[in-house]
Amino acid sequence: MSRSELSNAVSFSQEHQPRKERFHFSPYAFVLPCALFSAALLLYPVVNSLALSFRQATVDTFVSGEMPFNGLTQYQAAVADPVFWRAVINTVLFTAFSIVFQFVIGFLLALLFQFKFPLKSVCLSLLLIPWLLPLLTSANIFKGLFNEAGLINQLLHLIGGRPIPWLADQHFALPATIVANIWIGFPFNFVLLYAGMQNIPEEVYEAAKLDGADYWRRVTQITVPLLKPVALSVLMLGTVYTVKVFDLVWIMTGGGPANSTHLLSTYAYQVGFSILNFGEAAAIATLMVLLLLVLNLFRLLMQQR
Amino acid sequence: MISGIASSRWHLTAIVFAITAVLLSPFYWVLMGSFNTPAELFGTHLTLWPKRLAVENWSNALVRLWPHVNNSLIVSTIVSSCTLALTVPAAYALVWLRPRGGKLLFNFLLVTQMLPAIVFVIPLFVVFSQINLVNSLFGLALGDMTFSVPFALIMLCAYVKDLPYELVEAALVDGATQFRSFIAIVIPLMLPGIITVGIFAFLIPWADLIYALSLVTDETLQPLTLQLYKALGQYGIDWSFLLPGSVLTSIPAVIFVIAASRFILSGVTRGAIK
Repeated sequence: MSRSELSNAVSFSQEHQPRKERFHFSPYAFVLPCALFSAALLLYPVVNSLALSFRQATVDTFVSGEMPFNGLTQYQAAVADPVFWRAVINTVLFTAFSIVFQFVIGFLLALLFQFKFPLKSVCLSLLLIPWLLPLLTSANIFKGLFNEAGLINQLLHLIGGRPIPWLADQHFALPATIVANIWIGFPFNFVLLYAGMQNIPEEVYEAAKLDGADYWRRVTQITVPLLKPVALSVLMLGTVYTVKVFDLVWIMTGGGPANSTHLLSTYAYQVGFSILNFGEAAAIATLMVLLLLVLNLFRLLMQQR
Repeated sequence: MISGIASSRWHLTAIVFAITAVLLSPFYWVLMGSFNTPAELFGTHLTLWPKRLAVENWSNALVRLWPHVNNSLIVSTIVSSCTLALTVPAAYALVWLRPRGGKLLFNFLLVTQMLPAIVFVIPLFVVFSQINLVNSLFGLALGDMTFSVPFALIMLCAYVKDLPYELVEAALVDGATQFRSFIAIVIPLMLPGIITVGIFAFLIPWADLIYALSLVTDETLQPLTLQLYKALGQYGIDWSFLLPGSVLTSIPAVIFVIAASRFILSGVTRGAIK
């Protein structure tokens, strides 16, 4: 989700600066409403979701309210289903291709925007649009573009190609959703890399220029190495948020055709709300969280270097 | 500057505009398509401009969607105001008054942002159906706040850090209570941040699908996004309805980007780069 990306980008690598003072008024009163909300609507669901994953919570037990404990049964059921593994592979492919292309497009745009030119800020704001558009709008746009008679096939027709039934074909549907996701995510990479490049001191470039380094040499020898910390946090944040993507794929394909585009998020949702097996859906959700934890540990390791 | 050339260069503007146009062409397509007949839009030939403006697409869509726009407005307003009421005092206290456990709360909200939505949706659906908060706009707003509250708190904390605390200290020395100086000094100082975060907290439920999909089945209570989602697929897609509806859904976000892009940019980049 793009908005959580934003706030995490803000907090990323940021630490509270302590201020020690004496107070007449208890600071707890200011925090209490927010803390209560967080306990009831954030902490409770997280704990409950974990608990639910060890319980048999299907339509029948849900109505009767029993939901008996049955250990790892849900996890075994989830892992035994080939669609689960398909969703794992799809999540990895979806994330990897999205991230690589978003990053490359964002990096090239950021390089271009290091030049000064008139109306630069206008272009910068316009390029934010794909990122802040409601996902429903973006998903419908790409549903239309990849329609059998949509713009992509019209362009294919112009160059003499045969039309491809993108979203109805098991091999083409996932790449189509990836293209849509790249479009949604490139501005995030672009603006962060752009700001990172702006923070590289100009004197470094000046010195390199005096030493006779040409443009590409300055890019590869100065921009790339000095941008590395920013680039790493952009990549890692992007990865965590791409693993979570739900709306886009749910709207574009609903996981089909023939389960070929299910991500872990859409698969968990389908198991929960179409098959009404909340226990197994919670188990898949827990496995997703484990995957995200591993990714985060990996990020911490990379940062410590 | 990699280039080191400071003079204005219009030819570069032309190149960047061309690239921007290509990158934004999908958005152009939906704008153009919303005024086009499906027969023409999905014909064998490329349509770059509607031959005839099919204004009836829009009037039909608006008539059908208006009650749902209303639902979205209600939910978004509840979410935006409640989110601010919870997070503005909390952000102020977390950064400057530093209560015990404050850092824990902050970090927990940070982690929740990384968790998949399904972790919250299933338990909340189970609980809400037991306490009659399913099929209720207030219940939907509560669900959407699981997205907006962590987001708002984190953004506001970053914002509060940059404010001059000396003004509050001066008021405290003069005998004002914490509560009074919060109302009289902190809130006015935070106002630009409060407005921006408030708009974000408005846009999050406006664009939400997963909670609406899970918590609302009553047709009359469906927000805009859910009504448009339901229009997909039953008997093929009615593009003359879906495309204007999609554009309509995007209007608040597009206005926001155009009006506040500078602040969005500084907000995004502040923490990640420093």
